[in-house]
Amino acid sequence: MNLLSLILAAEDPTQSHHWLFPEIAEILYGGIASIAVFSLLYKVGWPMAKKSLEARTAKIQKEIDDSAAARREADADAANIRQALGDIASERARILAEADAQAAALLAEGRTRITAEVADIEARATAEIAASRARIGDELRAEIARLAASATTDAVRSALDDRTQQDLVDGFITKVGASR
Amino acid sequence: MSAAIVNAYVGAFFEVALAHDAVSAVEDDIFRLARAFESNEALRSSLTDAGLPAERRQKIIEQLLAGKAHNVTVQLASLLVGTGQVALLPKIADALVKRASSEKQLEVAEVRTAIALTDAQQQRIADALTKATGKRVNLKVVVDPSVIGGVVATVGDEVIDDTVRTRLDQVKSRL
Repeated sequence: MNLLSLILAAEDPTQSHHWLFPEIAEILYGGIASIAVFSLLYKVGWPMAKKSLEARTAKIQKEIDDSAAARREADADAANIRQALGDIASERARILAEADAQAAALLAEGRTRITAEVADIEARATAEIAASRARIGDELRAEIARLAASATTDAVRSALDDRTQQDLVDGFITKVGASR
Repeated sequence: MSAAIVNAYVGAFFEVALAHDAVSAVEDDIFRLARAFESNEALRSSLTDAGLPAERRQKIIEQLLAGKAHNVTVQLASLLVGTGQVALLPKIADALVKRASSEKQLEVAEVRTAIALTDAQQQRIADALTKATGKRVNLKVVVDPSVIGGVVATVGDEVIDDTVRTRLDQVKSRL
């Protein structure tokens, strides 16, 4: 209040019809000019300002949408990566399990084959031993028979004196003569 | 070819022997000579040796048979050696004996023994074989030490074997 009194006191009240209100014409001109200025601003400036605000709003909305899209995309990528990581882990586990199964199968097959080969070799060896034993036995029996036959022939030859030879001939004659 | 040659020689030998009325003697001599030829390697080698001249081989056979065989036999054997066909002697002898026997309505009976048989034994064997086979036989005796003992007789297709060799073979088979 003291400051306003000082300002009003500084004006010269004699130079104006009123210390507070301007003259009518000044009000008219000023009012018209103000209306013109405001009209011009409303007509020209407001659309530009509105347009600028709308463009800014759209830009901000677009940035928000882009950010949301980028986030969704990032989320999808993250999900894909997590899934891929899961797939890699399961694939690694599957490959390891398959390798273990193949190794076990190879081991079992190898054991089976070796067992069969050992059995086959044993069977062949047994058969060869039996065949050798039989062959040696046969050869031994044949040699014994040959020696026995030779000894028998020699013994018979030495036992066949002239009298026995004559008896054999007479025996033949008697036998043949009596055969009919 | 061999059979034709054998038949030709048999026919010729038989006619020559018949002409000399010595069929029995010649066929018997030729038979014994053939058996000696079969069993004696040295004789066979000498008579078939192409390196020896034919005259030399004929000399050998003539010396071998001299005084032991009929003259006709000696000449026929010498002829056979001279023509280089002595290897056919066993076949010729068998065929000649067969033909001579056939002429006399006899069946050839080949008897193999380890020892020589007396005339009486030969006659008894011939009688026994005639009785056993029902055929009159022309007996041909071969001394064959490989029979060891006993007798084996072959009359046509029939074989009567009572030899020690066969019995030993049976023992060997059983062994």
